[in-house]
Amino acid sequence: MEFLFNIYIFPGILFILTWAVFVFWFFRKILATLHKRVGPHYNGYAGTMQTFYDFSKLLTKESITPKGVNSYLFSSIPLIAPMLAIIPVVFIPWMPNFVIINSSYGVLGLVVLIGIEPFLLFLTGFGSNNKYSFLGGIRILTQMISMETSFFLSALSPALLFSTMNLTEIADMSSWLSTLILLPGAMLFFVSILGILEQPPFNIPDAEQEIVYGFYTEYSGTNYFLLKLAEFAEFLVTFAAMVTLFFGGYHGLFFDGFICLFVKMLIFAVLMIAIRASNPRLRLSQMLEFAWRYLVPLNLLNIVWILYAKQFILGD
Amino acid sequence: MENIKELFEPFNTQYMELYKENWLKVKLESSSDLLDVARVIKNYGIRSIATVSPTDFIEDNIFEMNYFFEDLNTYKNVWLKVDIPREFSECKIDSITPLFAGANWHEREAHSMYGVHFINHPDLSWFIISADYYGKFPFRKGFDWKAHEQNLIENMNTIVDDLYDEHNANDEKFDGSKTILNWGPTHPASGPIRLKVEVDGEEILAIEPDIGYVWRALEHLVEEKDFLGSIVALERICFMDNTNSMICYAQAVEEIAGKEITDFAKMMRVLLGEIGRIVSHLMGIGGFFNTMGLMTLFMWAIDLREYFLDVLENYSGARVATASIEPGGVRYPLNMKTLELLDVAIEEYERTKDDFYNIFLKNPLMKSRATKVGIITKDEVHDFSLCGIVARASGVKTDIRLDEPYAAYDKIDMDYMIEENGAAKNRLDVLFKEIAQSISILKQASSDLRDGIKSQIYNPQKDHLVKIPKKLPAGEAISRVEWSRGELMMHLVTQEKATSPYRLKIKAPSFNHTMILEHLLKGQTLSDIPLVFGSLYICQGDLDR
Amino acid sequence: MLKILDFFDYAKSQSAWMVHFCSGCCSLEMAAAMGPRYDWERYGYLVTPTPRQADVIFITGLVSKKILPALLRTYAQMPEPSYVAAMGACAYDGGPYNDSVAVIKNVTEILPADVFIAGCPPVPEAIITGLDEIKGKIERGEPSAASHGGLWKQMKF
Repeated sequence: MEFLFNIYIFPGILFILTWAVFVFWFFRKILATLHKRVGPHYNGYAGTMQTFYDFSKLLTKESITPKGVNSYLFSSIPLIAPMLAIIPVVFIPWMPNFVIINSSYGVLGLVVLIGIEPFLLFLTGFGSNNKYSFLGGIRILTQMISMETSFFLSALSPALLFSTMNLTEIADMSSWLSTLILLPGAMLFFVSILGILEQPPFNIPDAEQEIVYGFYTEYSGTNYFLLKLAEFAEFLVTFAAMVTLFFGGYHGLFFDGFICLFVKMLIFAVLMIAIRASNPRLRLSQMLEFAWRYLVPLNLLNIVWILYAKQFILGD
Repeated sequence: MENIKELFEPFNTQYMELYKENWLKVKLESSSDLLDVARVIKNYGIRSIATVSPTDFIEDNIFEMNYFFEDLNTYKNVWLKVDIPREFSECKIDSITPLFAGANWHEREAHSMYGVHFINHPDLSWFIISADYYGKFPFRKGFDWKAHEQNLIENMNTIVDDLYDEHNANDEKFDGSKTILNWGPTHPASGPIRLKVEVDGEEILAIEPDIGYVWRALEHLVEEKDFLGSIVALERICFMDNTNSMICYAQAVEEIAGKEITDFAKMMRVLLGEIGRIVSHLMGIGGFFNTMGLMTLFMWAIDLREYFLDVLENYSGARVATASIEPGGVRYPLNMKTLELLDVAIEEYERTKDDFYNIFLKNPLMKSRATKVGIITKDEVHDFSLCGIVARASGVKTDIRLDEPYAAYDKIDMDYMIEENGAAKNRLDVLFKEIAQSISILKQASSDLRDGIKSQIYNPQKDHLVKIPKKLPAGEAISRVEWSRGELMMHLVTQEKATSPYRLKIKAPSFNHTMILEHLLKGQTLSDIPLVFGSLYICQGDLDR
Repeated sequence: MLKILDFFDYAKSQSAWMVHFCSGCCSLEMAAAMGPRYDWERYGYLVTPTPRQADVIFITGLVSKKILPALLRTYAQMPEPSYVAAMGACAYDGGPYNDSVAVIKNVTEILPADVFIAGCPPVPEAIITGLDEIKGKIERGEPSAASHGGLWKQMKF
């Protein structure tokens, strides 16, 4: 019974759908405020029903499969991608004493499953019979290989500091001192997250002005809705992972709970939108140079710092 | 000018006279001298050519070719004319493209529209016109276009067949990682222009622009309307800067009619022209960042632009297509509410300009992308006849408001806004500086108007328009104006007692700027195409006319 | 059962996405309608780069003969149900370019439109009012005018 509740309601399918509806509206409103505009306003109170209408419209439109596509790749990836994106939800501790799989290899499972998601999207680029989608697929492959290295290295630093890979224990053992020590690692992790989620300034694979919409170009209706659901599920998982690993998870100032986790996730979402509104896009060669010349050596230095701090500052 | 007159000693000329103190107007006797004359002019130091334009005199059975050579250093220019026969088999002349690279596309256009054959031109293929006009030369007098319009579906099928033939030829041409991308007419970043990009992976091998998607044949349309009604067609050359193009046409008509307009109308033209320039530049800086994926500056700039559009709406009733300037002066009398709205707009600019500068112009990511691409050197400016902000960003001092002052610009205190180095970022800086300079010009014009009205020198209700007769005498005139994109030149030819223009040639700056696109982008990556294209400040309306 | 279908029609009408197809001068006022003063995102409109995710296509002003195949192709790529909004005087009878040799005078005989927005160019408030008409049409569940009529089905593109 509790198992069915976990799968369907929280943190399962209904939670992911509600989060997708909420975060799409949230992004649009914050971006509009930075643009000196008002975002969606007329549907529901301050536009909250707008995303609901958007999603139900997408589900009732015609799903076109163009002529000449590779039908296995084109039609099956939108089904597999959201499933793969939702799976890491089982590793994260959402509330005190509530985690679906309490494994002692939590960090490893999280990193592997988050990391394998973008490779499915590159297959969609190959499968559409379109030169622009193909270019988008090549770009996402290039970007992921560079950013995943740094993602993995920086996700390792709290595990090294606390000598455990169990996410609940990492969240429980954090304190003000350990947060300060992990701060450089947190910043590097955030930058790698921007690369993996393809957000500005790294939104190179779906560059609207250059390659029409990258690998999303040929998708319409339900297929597009499923791919977007995969993207929003990735947001949920990566932000929750960041808060749990570096900033103490569900622990708050006066009380513990799911609300503290949620508020911390929203702070990072606002930070991401502020970066989107003030920075242009990078070129592919500049991104490669940045990743391999600056990010990876800084990550290695970060690991040296963590080991030093563990020995001499934390004292065990 | 005496030195230039001496250049023509060895050649036979029908006449040679001084025109408007900066131009030498020369007509050659025979067309076979053209290449030698061009070589002599180029060796003297005049390296730019504005345009090449035929005028069709059907009664005398000749085409009169006009060549406008310009010197961007000393501002002394040459206007060369020569006659060639009108029959298809004899309508030939030497091409000057091997000497003046900027004449390339102008000669292609003259060939497609009129049928002039240019000997030794590197690539004389069909240009701008749609496929149903190939071989029909629609601008010749006597072309029966009403009969051509009867079968629309057949014409459209010709166009589509031609498109498919080209696509199939492109597909068979390459193999492996090389391919031809169509940066097509509905691309989000380009507007209605098609670029055929040959790529190898992401590296560009060649670009060939295919233009003509917004071709409205304005030069032919004007012949169907009368002198006043042509304003409707000409203000829509490019919608973003609406007022300066009307000034250019109005000046040409006034020169042929021999009338002088009042000082009040001249100062009003300066005011309206500068508002048009600001409105267009704000759209331009927004568009530059849009090509890199950042919409914020576009939103803020459009918000500021609305205040200036309020001024135009108060003066003329329309926001964008104002029709506020006509031959004889400006169209409507002035009331003081317009000047008050202008003060509100200037105050809003002063309040937000620091944000624009600090957040966007100093953005390190933009600098890292735009400082090393699209570099145009000073020699390329002269060779390809560039103008406007593209020329000023490379260090060439050229600005028609200072070289050949028109309207009331001789009373205004202004300077050349130049930058060195000519990269994409420098063009953005020039745009910002020009907005600041336009604001200062607006302040000077507005205070001059207020003082004049208060001391009764200007009568705002009566001084705005001088009567121009409906039928003009025979004559021709050229008129140049500093449009927001560059130098806009119109060449107007009228016949005795006619009510509409006989021939109007419009030289638009974006035409030359698109010519150098291939030269700038060879060897760069796909991400640089929207960036360089956006920084050249091209508008498809005046590219195709 | 019918009430559920009404809900889906209402949802489709409240979130109409449009494709960015700029073939004439009127697209400048469309860009102004996106700005902070006339913000059309309040009503839920969004501009998408590809026609595969759009509901409404604007014929922004003049259509020259050379770009007509591209317009028809873009319209054909949009998933059903898709609507057409004709903007400006040029889409109605050629506008100021009525005497021109290269502009199509009667675009709406080729691709019939569901709403005409008058003006040269129409002010942004007029654009938003015109879009309200399309919203009403979608809400009542009426098919688009282009799906049952027009010369575009006989043409090659």
